[in-house]
Amino acid sequence: MDCREFCDQHVAFVDDTLAGIELVRMQRHLMECESCAKHDAKIRRALLLFRNLPSIEPSADFSQRLEARLRNCEYDHLFVTTQRNLRRGAIAATIASVLMLGYIGSTLFHSDAPRDLVMAPVVATIPEPDLTPFTTSTPAIVTSVSAGLTIWPAALFAEQVPVRFAHSSLELANYTR
Amino acid sequence: MTRYQTRLLNFVYRTIGDREKAEDLVQEVFIRVYRHLHRFDRSKKFSTWVYTIASNLAKNELRNRSRNPLVLFQTVQKNFQDEDRPLQFEDTTSRPDDMYRKRHLREIVEESVAKLPEHHRNVFILRELEGKSYEEIAEITDCNLGTVKSRLNRARNSFAEIIAPYVD
Repeated sequence: MDCREFCDQHVAFVDDTLAGIELVRMQRHLMECESCAKHDAKIRRALLLFRNLPSIEPSADFSQRLEARLRNCEYDHLFVTTQRNLRRGAIAATIASVLMLGYIGSTLFHSDAPRDLVMAPVVATIPEPDLTPFTTSTPAIVTSVSAGLTIWPAALFAEQVPVRFAHSSLELANYTR
Repeated sequence: MTRYQTRLLNFVYRTIGDREKAEDLVQEVFIRVYRHLHRFDRSKKFSTWVYTIASNLAKNELRNRSRNPLVLFQTVQKNFQDEDRPLQFEDTTSRPDDMYRKRHLREIVEESVAKLPEHHRNVFILRELEGKSYEEIAEITDCNLGTVKSRLNRARNSFAEIIAPYVD
């Protein structure tokens, strides 16, 4: 190894990040080259001084001042968000107003022009029969059979089973056969 | 916050050389972290992100200073006012001349670091004081690995040259 190669790898050598073989070569060169050994010692001594500089501590009111700034930051953020929302609301309201005015304007503008009226088709229907109290012997059959059968088979048993009739006003009506 | 405030303060202070301003910048770092936390990519390392913000703020401060000679003068003047400098090596068992030498050495070391070019100083402090890996330094300073190693090598050589007369 020559001195140039030693200097090129010196950073990794000091940081102990060299592979085993390279580390051995560097150490061997240190033993052989006085100039590189002095250089290595000078660097390491300087780094030792720097790394042992005392750490400075934040001032006593550092945390207080930071908390105050963070609080202001929150208020500012809320204020900006509120302003942005108000602005958006105002823009939306303006657009809606313009559209409404435009619609009203176009309606008024075209109101004089004759228009063909289009009516919905009329569908005639059979009038509903008048509902009168039930007096005839033709009842609206609203019946139930306790056996739970449908009307059609129930009618077959009309002779056999007792049946109660009710007319449309839901009053019990007498039916005589 | 507690975890990072001292480390960040030391990093920023060693970079810009002004303690009061360093505290302001560190607070600014925390404010920005608070504001932009939602943008943080959780697949990356949090400390790298925080140090990147701190490094950029320190760089901006140095850039502003170089443009404003009045600010630079005031900073230099303030740093030389003895009553503002806390005595770090308060040791009643040591002899007075030892204490003086220690304090003097500390000042020399700090001044020697301040003499390094800005981009060398940044890498030097991140590696020697903060113990960041080359990859982390590359990410924080936004340069490639080779550049980091090259700057670190030069920073170490320069620092050793500056401080050598005082320690021999």
